[in-house]
Amino acid sequence: MAAGAARASAWQRVRAGDDAVSVAERAALGTGARLVVWPPENLGVACAVVDDVLATLDRQASRFRPDSELSWLNAASGGLFLLGDGLAEAVAVALAAARWTGGLTDPTIADALVSLGYDRDFAAIDEDGEPLGAAVPAPGWPLVRLDGPLLRLPRGIRLDLGATAKGLGADRAVRAVRSATGQRGGVLVSLGGDIAVAGTPPLGGWPVTVAEEPDPDGAPCGQLGGQLVRLAAGALATSSVTVRRWQRGGAALHHIVDPRTGRPADGPWRTVTVAAATCADANAASTAAIVAGAAAEDWLVATGLPARLTGHDGRVRGLNGWPGRQIAAGGPIPVPAGSRVYAGGPR
Amino acid sequence: MDPSSQDPARRDSLRHVRRMSNWTAAILIAGTGTAAVALAHQATQATATAAPAAGTAAGTTGTSATAGPRVTHSVAATTASGVTVTTTTRTVNGKTVVTRVGHAPAGGDS
Repeated sequence: MAAGAARASAWQRVRAGDDAVSVAERAALGTGARLVVWPPENLGVACAVVDDVLATLDRQASRFRPDSELSWLNAASGGLFLLGDGLAEAVAVALAAARWTGGLTDPTIADALVSLGYDRDFAAIDEDGEPLGAAVPAPGWPLVRLDGPLLRLPRGIRLDLGATAKGLGADRAVRAVRSATGQRGGVLVSLGGDIAVAGTPPLGGWPVTVAEEPDPDGAPCGQLGGQLVRLAAGALATSSVTVRRWQRGGAALHHIVDPRTGRPADGPWRTVTVAAATCADANAASTAAIVAGAAAEDWLVATGLPARLTGHDGRVRGLNGWPGRQIAAGGPIPVPAGSRVYAGGPR
Repeated sequence: MDPSSQDPARRDSLRHVRRMSNWTAAILIAGTGTAAVALAHQATQATATAAPAAGTAAGTTGTSATAGPRVTHSVAATTASGVTVTTTTRTVNGKTVVTRVGHAPAGGDS
């Protein structure tokens, strides 16, 4: 139990203004994790199981850990592999997301990211590195074959699961907390702002801020506007081109790369938030919408998922029942049932 | 050196069968069809079990929000990937003050 106590100590309790819930935060997966539970006494157990989920996911799917299963896979230069259940699920979700989005997300994008300089922990990226070389479009997810745990990866293709991994982690975490707490109460897990909830929500839904990101030209991070919404079930995820930016040869780059071109997406939307039944769905959809650019609205409307898009000019567009500004007094976001990325299709 | 030989735990969870041509792979899969089908079947079951409880998010959600506690303050923020927003609440002179601070983290995407 000593190990469990040590892990739990990484969490910091946070006062959120309501005694009915307990809130804690910690650094994880290169970003921040936030855990909110009710009843409050569930927090200790919840912290321990979320720690286990995040540590396991990191060992399985991190592109930045040389000892992760994914790094080992990528270093093997192609071949046939028998994956462990966890990585098999992560790859399956990434491939299903690629299929659903028509390749707007694509796990074969790893080399494109590396060619742009995103080949290490973000803090270690040279902020003004060498000029860009030729673009490296993604080879294409259809080249990767997964049959259960059996993965065939062609030579020269490396995987990056960034478009779905955080969502997958949040989904796993809320499920683990529910199981560990005897399905009692409710839980919210946020990984770097991608949020999943499960169980019985607070009255009217979990109050969540859809935050405006800091201005890339220098507005302080602390000056965040935003919209208060309520999430009774499912998940929310946000993708934006205004963070994780760096320079190469005088060119401003960001981490959301169009698999078709191998270059950072350059559409009219700077930030997209999507609500979906699972966080992996929301994570994939928000990334895909940024990449889709001018076609984002049509694509999102077709999915039926509530979404909020913010343009580079600051205009905000709500789709598929995304609540108006007065939602704090209204009902929760109408999240449609069914996942497009788990178990091969909607359910 | 085979990386898996350096880590027995890795060897258990992730085994590099071996690099091979398309034809060799096809022959191997056909030759071990029964085992592969069994593995795939197990994996399908595991994936189905492991998939999140979409049922808890079923329908047009929001209809089950009746039995939980009343929570009036924002408890989390969805924001740009990798930006963590810390929301804290304190009482000053009898008034509730909510502070949100964004932090761009040092790490990478998972």
